[in-house]
Amino acid sequence: MIEPDDETSWALGMIGITGHAVYLPRHRIGREKIAAAHGGKPVLEGERTAIGFDEDALTLALEAVQGLGLSACGGIYFASTTAPYLERMNAALLAAACDFPEEIAVADFAHSLRAGTVALMAALDRVAVGEQEPIVVVSADTREASPESPEEQWFGDGAAALAVGREHVVAEAKARASVSDDFLDFVRRDKDERVTSFASRFTMEGYCRIVRRAIVRVLEESGLQPSEVTRVILPPMDPRLTVRAAAELGFRAEQVQETFLERVGMIGCATPLFLLSAALERAQPGDRILLVGYGSGADAVLFEVTPLIEDYVVRDPIAEQLRRGLRFPSYERFRKAREYFRHHDEGPVLSNVFYEKEEVRAIRLRGTECGECGLRQFPPTRICQRCQSKTSLREVSLGRRGEVFTYTVDWLTPSPMPPTVLAVVDVEGGGRLYLQMTDVEPSEVRIGMRVRLTLRRLGAGGGLYHYYWKCRPEGRSDGGEPQG
Amino acid sequence: MAESLKDKVAIIGIGCTKFGELHDKSLSELMAEAAFAAYEDAGIEPERVEAAWLGTFSPGFGGGKASVTLADALRLYGKPITRVENYCATGTDAFRNACLAVAAGVYEVVLVVGAEKLRDRPVRGLQREGTHPYLEAGATPPGLFALAANRYFHRFGGDRRTLAKVAVKNHHNGALNPKAHFRMEVSEEQVLAAPLVAYPFGLYDCCPTTDGAAAVVICRADRARQFREDPIYVKGIGLAVETGWPFFDPTFEYIGFPATVAAAAEAYRMAGIRNPVREISVAEVHDCFTWTEISNYEDLGFCKKGEGRYFIEEGRSALAGDLPVNPSGGLKSFGHPIGASGVRMLTEIVLQLRGQAGARQVKNAELGLVHNLGGPGSVACVVVLGR
Repeated sequence: MIEPDDETSWALGMIGITGHAVYLPRHRIGREKIAAAHGGKPVLEGERTAIGFDEDALTLALEAVQGLGLSACGGIYFASTTAPYLERMNAALLAAACDFPEEIAVADFAHSLRAGTVALMAALDRVAVGEQEPIVVVSADTREASPESPEEQWFGDGAAALAVGREHVVAEAKARASVSDDFLDFVRRDKDERVTSFASRFTMEGYCRIVRRAIVRVLEESGLQPSEVTRVILPPMDPRLTVRAAAELGFRAEQVQETFLERVGMIGCATPLFLLSAALERAQPGDRILLVGYGSGADAVLFEVTPLIEDYVVRDPIAEQLRRGLRFPSYERFRKAREYFRHHDEGPVLSNVFYEKEEVRAIRLRGTECGECGLRQFPPTRICQRCQSKTSLREVSLGRRGEVFTYTVDWLTPSPMPPTVLAVVDVEGGGRLYLQMTDVEPSEVRIGMRVRLTLRRLGAGGGLYHYYWKCRPEGRSDGGEPQG
Repeated sequence: MAESLKDKVAIIGIGCTKFGELHDKSLSELMAEAAFAAYEDAGIEPERVEAAWLGTFSPGFGGGKASVTLADALRLYGKPITRVENYCATGTDAFRNACLAVAAGVYEVVLVVGAEKLRDRPVRGLQREGTHPYLEAGATPPGLFALAANRYFHRFGGDRRTLAKVAVKNHHNGALNPKAHFRMEVSEEQVLAAPLVAYPFGLYDCCPTTDGAAAVVICRADRARQFREDPIYVKGIGLAVETGWPFFDPTFEYIGFPATVAAAAEAYRMAGIRNPVREISVAEVHDCFTWTEISNYEDLGFCKKGEGRYFIEEGRSALAGDLPVNPSGGLKSFGHPIGASGVRMLTEIVLQLRGQAGARQVKNAELGLVHNLGGPGSVACVVVLGR
C-alpha cells in the first residue's frame, strides 16, 4: 500500500479509471493477403484491423469516446501519432462532435507511442488538482508502414478511451512512474508518411531496459514484487520477442495481458489503453494491473481494481467487435482505403464563414424541437415543419442511434468503393436524418435495422477534411449504455 | 374562390426535336429547331411572338442562368424573355407562367421553349448543382426515388417485377415513336437482368440522359381560331411545392408525393374534373423511374394509394387500356432532358388530342393530362388540355 505524502498528493482520495471503451475499425485484412501481394509468406498468423476509406485516427477516437456513454466531461485529451490535423486541435473537433460544452479542457498528445499513457498521466494530474472530471483520455492510431515491410503486417488500426475521475472508480491509480530515454526504435520525420523501423534484437533489449526502470520504480513505491501483480500490460513492439521480454522483466506468462496481435495488430499509441480496457473487461475486485506505455522512455501505472468493476457494463466488448469483421477482398482494396484521401483533395472549397454556421452545427448535430407539437427537426429551423409554430422552438442535441426508415444501395454515387448505401434514419428521441451507411455489407441492410451514428470523412478540399455523420450497423451487444 | 384558367389559353403550334444523345448538336441549335417548328405549325412568323418563356435546368454555356440563352439561339431580341428553373417541373412551370401572362391579357401570342443538353455535362446521370456539401452528400436522382420505392414495397408489397412492367410498357410505346430516344422493345427478363443503379432500380428502371428541345406557341383562346381550326385549350394547371428535403421530414411517409396530389387537385378544380380515371383520355406522367409512374397513378387519383401496382399489372395504363399512360414512351423511352420534358409532354398530348399521334394514337382522346415531378418529389406541375 502507498502511504500518502506531500509529493504524491494526487494519490489522496481515490482517483482512477471510471470508464473504458475500445473501438476497432470493422475492416480486416488477412496477413496472408498482404504477404501474397508481395510474393511472400505472412510474418505473423491471422489478420489485422484496418481503416475503411472514410476513417482516420480522429474518427476511430470519436467512436471510442462515444463508447464511454458520457454526456459531459471536464476535458478531452487526444493521443495519436497519426492525427489528421497537424495545426488545429483535433481534440476540439472531437469535443464538438460529442456536443460537449465549450468550457472544457482539450489537448492533443502526439509524437510517441507513449502518447496514450502520457495523456493518461496528465489526466490523473488534472483530476488530482481538483478540476472538473472526468477527463476523457482517448488514443487512436492508423500508422503507415512501408509496403512489403513486416510492420505492414504487424500494425493494426484502432482506438481506446478511458474516463479518469473520482466518481465510480473501477480501477484506482495507486502508483506511477515515468522515465525519458531518447532511444531509437520507430521514428517518423515531419516529411515522412511512413514509419521508419529499427526493430531488431537490439531494439528489444532497449525496450526491456527502459521498461524495467519504470516498472521497478512503481513496484518499489508500492512495495510489491512482480509476482504480486495480477496482470501486466506490455505493449508489443516486435511480435517476435514479446513473450521473451515479459520473462526478462520477471513476469510469468500467465500474468501477461493477451496482446491480440493475431486479430488486431499493434495499434500504435492506442495499444496500452486498448490492452488496459481488455484487462478491465476480465478484471476482478482487488486485481493489481500494471500498465506500461513505451516510446522514447516509458510510463508505468499500477491500478487496483475496485468492487465497482462488477457492476460496470462494457457497451461493446472486444470479443464482440472481433466477431464483426468485414474482410477486404484484396490487398489492393486495403491500400486503396488507406491512400484514397492522399490522392483525392478536390472536394468543395468551403469558407470558414460557412463552416462556422453549417458544419459546426452539423457536427454538433443540433436540431430543433417544437414546444407546441414536440416534433424534432433537422437541420435547425425557424418555423415548425408540422404545426408552423415560430415562438416555441428550441435547439436540441439529437440522438446518436436510430432505426432505418428506408434506404437504397446506390451504384451511381461517386465513391472509391461503390455501392453507397444511403439511409433515412429516425434517431432516438426524435428527428430524421439522411445518412450514408458505412461498414456494412449492402445485403445486410433492412428497413428497421438499428444503426449508430459515426463521424466519417466525407471528402477533402480547400485545406480541410470534411467530416460529417454516417451511420453503421449497431452491434449485437452495442445497444445498451455503460453504467458507472 | 380563385379564377380558373379554363379555356382562356390555347396551344396553336408545337415543335419537338428528335430526342437522344445528340452529340453533334448544341443547345442553341436544338432550341432553334424546336421553336421554328412550332412557328411553322402555328403558321406564324417569329415577329408575331410578343414574349417568351424558357425552361431549362442546367446553366447554359455563355448565358449562364440568364434568359439570353434563348434570345441568342432564336435571335429574338428586344422582347421580354423569362428563364424558369424548377427542378424537373421546369418545362411545365415555364408553360404555366406563360399561360398566366396570356390569360391576364398582357400578351396575345407567346412562345414557350423547354431545352436541355445533358450530354454536354461532365457526369453521367443528372449533375446536381447547388446542393449542400454534407447534408445531401451521396444523393443521386435514382437513389432519392429508390428511398420511396423501398418504403412503398415495405408498406404495400410488390417488387422489381412490378417495376419491370412499367419499363416494358413504356419501351413498347417508345418503339412506335420516331422521335423517341430509345425505339426498342424490352422484355421483363431483360429489365430484371440489367445492372443495378440504385436498388430496387436497375438500368431499365431509370430514364436515360438525353438531349432535346420542345416548343409550343400559345395565344388567347378567343383568337386561337384565327391561327388554326383545331386549337387545343388549357383546361387547368396546378403547381405545388413541398419540401426539397423530404428525407429530413419525420412526418413524411415516403409512399407517394403530396406535391402531385396538391397540383392535381388544383388542375382538376380548374378543369372541373371529378373522376380523373373516367374523364381523362390519355396522360403523360413523370416516369423518371419506373416506380415514380406507379406512385403517379395513385397521386393523380387514377387509383387508390397502394393499388398502383395493379393499375400496371392489369394493363389499364397500356395503349389499349382504359387510361393510356405515356403513349409517347415516357421519360423512360422518349428520354428526359430536364427542362425540355414538360414542354415535350405537352406536344405529345396536343398530337393525341388532334388525332395526329400515328401508331400510338389513343382512340377518342378528348381530355389529356401532363404531369411533371421535380427534385426528390418536391415540385409537381399538372396541366389538363382539351379540345
